[in-house]
Amino acid sequence: MEPLSWGTIVGLILWRLLPVWLALAILLSVSAFYKRRLGLYGKLYDSPIGLFGFSLVAFWVFVGLFGAFDLIITHDPLTQISGMKNKPPGTAVASASSDDFGYYLLGGDNLARDVFSRVVKGAWIVIQIAPLATLFAFMVGITLGLPAGYFGRRLDVALSFLSNLILAFPVILLFYLLVTPEVIATGLPSYMATVLFIFPIIFSAILLNSRFHTRPKLRTPLLVVVLGLFLWLYTSLISEPGSAIQILPKFVDLFDISGGVLVVFVSVVFVNAPTVFRIVRSLALDIKTRDYVAAAQTRGEGSWYIMLWEILPNARGPLIVDFCLRIGYTIILLGTLGFFGLGLPPESPDWGTTINGGRKLLSIYLHPALPPAFALLSLVLGLNLLADGLREESLKD
Amino acid sequence: MSTQTPCSGPILEIDKLSISFFSRSRENAAVSDFSLSIRSGEAVGLVGESGCGKSTVALGIMQDLGQNGRIVGGSIKFKGCDLQAMSATELRKIRGNEIAMIYQEPMASLNPAMRVGEQLIEVPMIHDTVSRSEAIRRAREVLIDVKLPDPERILRSYPHQISGGQQQRIVIAMALMSKPDLLILDEPTTALDVTVEAAVVDLVRELGAKYGTSMLFISHNLGLILETCDQVCVMYSGEAVERGSVEDVFDAMRHPYTQALFRSIPLPDADKISRPLVAIPGNFPLPHERPPGCNFGPRCTYFEPGNCDSHQIPMASVTNQTAHTTRCVRHDAIDWEADVASDATGSQAKVGDVVLRIDDLKKYYETASNSLFSRDNKKVIKANETLSFEARESETLAIVGESGCGKSTFAKVLTGLESATGGKIYFDERSIEKIPIATRDKETVGQIQMVFQNPFDTLNPSMSVGRQIIRALEVFAVGSNDKDRRHKMLELLDLVKLPRSFAERMPRQLSGGQKQRVGIARAFAGGARVVVADEPVSALDVSVQAAVTDLLMEIQREQKTTLLFISHDLSIVRYLSDRVMVMYLGHVVELGDTNQVFAPPYHPYTEALLSAVPIADTSVEKNHIVLDGEIPSAINPPSGCPFQTRCHWKQAVQDNLCEHEVPPIRDLAPGHQVKCHLSTEKFAEMTPVIRLAGE
Repeated sequence: MEPLSWGTIVGLILWRLLPVWLALAILLSVSAFYKRRLGLYGKLYDSPIGLFGFSLVAFWVFVGLFGAFDLIITHDPLTQISGMKNKPPGTAVASASSDDFGYYLLGGDNLARDVFSRVVKGAWIVIQIAPLATLFAFMVGITLGLPAGYFGRRLDVALSFLSNLILAFPVILLFYLLVTPEVIATGLPSYMATVLFIFPIIFSAILLNSRFHTRPKLRTPLLVVVLGLFLWLYTSLISEPGSAIQILPKFVDLFDISGGVLVVFVSVVFVNAPTVFRIVRSLALDIKTRDYVAAAQTRGEGSWYIMLWEILPNARGPLIVDFCLRIGYTIILLGTLGFFGLGLPPESPDWGTTINGGRKLLSIYLHPALPPAFALLSLVLGLNLLADGLREESLKD
Repeated sequence: MSTQTPCSGPILEIDKLSISFFSRSRENAAVSDFSLSIRSGEAVGLVGESGCGKSTVALGIMQDLGQNGRIVGGSIKFKGCDLQAMSATELRKIRGNEIAMIYQEPMASLNPAMRVGEQLIEVPMIHDTVSRSEAIRRAREVLIDVKLPDPERILRSYPHQISGGQQQRIVIAMALMSKPDLLILDEPTTALDVTVEAAVVDLVRELGAKYGTSMLFISHNLGLILETCDQVCVMYSGEAVERGSVEDVFDAMRHPYTQALFRSIPLPDADKISRPLVAIPGNFPLPHERPPGCNFGPRCTYFEPGNCDSHQIPMASVTNQTAHTTRCVRHDAIDWEADVASDATGSQAKVGDVVLRIDDLKKYYETASNSLFSRDNKKVIKANETLSFEARESETLAIVGESGCGKSTFAKVLTGLESATGGKIYFDERSIEKIPIATRDKETVGQIQMVFQNPFDTLNPSMSVGRQIIRALEVFAVGSNDKDRRHKMLELLDLVKLPRSFAERMPRQLSGGQKQRVGIARAFAGGARVVVADEPVSALDVSVQAAVTDLLMEIQREQKTTLLFISHDLSIVRYLSDRVMVMYLGHVVELGDTNQVFAPPYHPYTEALLSAVPIADTSVEKNHIVLDGEIPSAINPPSGCPFQTRCHWKQAVQDNLCEHEVPPIRDLAPGHQVKCHLSTEKFAEMTPVIRLAGE
């Protein structure tokens, strides 16, 4: 069979993405219709830049989602088909049976895998890991930043010093240290994960307790259920057969996180949490002088209620914007980690690893490295524009 | 420079000016059909509530309306030249040179990164292109004009190194550097303390006379307008509603809004029992909600359907007075002399037992310049010094004083946010001064509550009104279940006269006065018996102030609450309080019944405060006492009597006693205490500061 022309390739890619287009169209039109009732998210539809950014992000989220259900991909991202090594885009698969898709739309990589399917599958990994890791970083930053800003004094000095210390440490060096076999053997990444991942539990426990301690009948069951669930997730997360920590027996261990992913999480949280800490701390310093905080103090509210229910909700504007930006940074960080061959396993289709794989033959074959690079660029651009739009709209009344 | 201008005419002539701001969805008319003229050497006051468009007029004159604002009709002529026809270069020559503007926040008008001297000499160097040494000479001269001590030091200081009052003087000096023909003052003293305000107002008036500068004085304070201006223009909802000489407008107003405004401010003859304030009903209309015809129509007691709302109402001259115009179609038909239809049924509540007894309370703070390293370099701030007083059930005790006098610290100690350094606070005979709020029982916490100053800050912006009140109920353990508490919350909304549907609203959907009502409801959630109201109405517009004040007093009567009313506004204090406590730098300098404090003999500080408060009544004559200098810092208080650095009675005391010894507390009359060294004869010599003409 003849290789496809560029026009046909573009047409076929757009056709493969059909579920994404449909989902995007539904999401955007429904949201635009109800935009007056959707708060800040609805206001985004008044800002062309924000809307463009949001569409880019939504596009990749849908690509990731549908990709996870094997809807868009044309081939298995790990299967090698002989004769397809480094073949240019649009090359027909020689040994294709009638059920298979007959072409490598974006060509084959140096291990004869389909570049298009790998980019799509990679989107799913990025969409899963980046927001979750950023969320963990925020939990840590908020749980430490609020008391530092609210109580001030020695606690603030100590925590700020610690965060400056971490910020001063070379990031790449830290990553290399974390993946060194000797360091893994000591269990250090696992222990760090144990510490870092406990923050969401602390966070939700004090969040709920401070709010509902006046109503013990509701508080106690709520806390038992939520904390029980979180603790189970937590122990499943950190307990790893073969690693330093094995608490849960096999049959209750919900999922196993490969050591590589754990390292990614730990490093993302470790690098981002100090910055989030500083933002939250400065916001808390500002908001704690407001009269409604004084009003809460004079009616005898606990410090944590004031921090989590009086201060935090009113700091949400800048935090949401920063969250979007920070997901972008995390994606770049994932790419960087992948590029250095750290973190995720080498066969993983995530974009950083793929770019690194394509790098070696870049002067001869451009096509394996370009699509994931473009995907990374467009997603981060989308997140930045989304953050810009959110910032712009949240300033307006 | 003004001699070079080819045009002539009045200094400023605004004719049928309309200004609109354009947003994405609509055009908001901020000012419409506004006319005003300022002759040479004249001071014109522009008065109105927030949002009425008075600042927009000022920005329109400066041709500085921003991206969204545009002049959509009418003209502004400066000395006969149309400002709109001028190019950017021509405008730049006029701004800051011939028209200067002074804003509300002095710190925001000064560049914090430049020394004061550098900022001052910029003006003549740019506009008159004089040499640096000449500019410095002029700067020094003008600093002496604005009565700043030690001009050399001031020239070398950065703005943050000098006090707020001094900063505002610098701003005035800067405005005067180029000897402008027109000076626009946009609420120039709102951010300052009363005694400082009085000095600045004095200065402005004096300089206006000296330089012959015309002034446009923008303020919400009718008393200030009376003290500074010849002409006044009252604005309401984007329109001028009444214009004329100060005497005409103040004594023989011919617009219902002006009348309502005067009835809602506490003048010396107002009394909470016999002549209560009359609040203006309803709310200020937003630009897109303005009614047809008269903008004030829906809130006006003289409203006549078919007449007032049928057509746009033009400004018309009041019969027999050509210089006095009003925008009221019925100004001939209304009986302006008729007395207020008062529905006052309130009777003086009986003052009950002592609820709160403060005995020799002290609160000191320790500060160190660097908390980590220097251990022995500690300074003590004496925020409260030997406070002793009692407060009874159903009583209103006003605490009066300027910033830094320790009134907020006292509120913190009382509510348990801070613990006292010494002395006792007895609440129902239980001493609570050392019990921090975390260990106080729920009942006590609920019984001592606060109402805060800033309505825009008092409610959590991300929680609905109902939830905030319910939260307070939960904390105070009121009600046994959610249904109970919800019911109680709705009752509290009834208590503060807000519709029950407000429970679902977010704070941003409420006006300032409504937010303050919610704040009051929240304070009374735990059955408060002592309520500390920290300047609860000072940030509200005058027409709303009356309503919130009346509400507070009504609830007080019903619930027999002890109200500690913190304020610097002596007019409102005189109106509503039973007893008054005057504080200065942490000391109680005078304590007594309202009548005792407001009549001689006074403490010298009380006397100065009374003189400083502007009163919007032309029949009032005041002794003119202007305090020198600034309030001393609490870190470094003066020796002896705290007030001795600014007291003008100091010479009347022998042996310089004031500088050496803190005066003892003396009883001048039963229940009337004064902390002063003055002899009984000197006290007897004092004359009333405020006199109503004809008395």
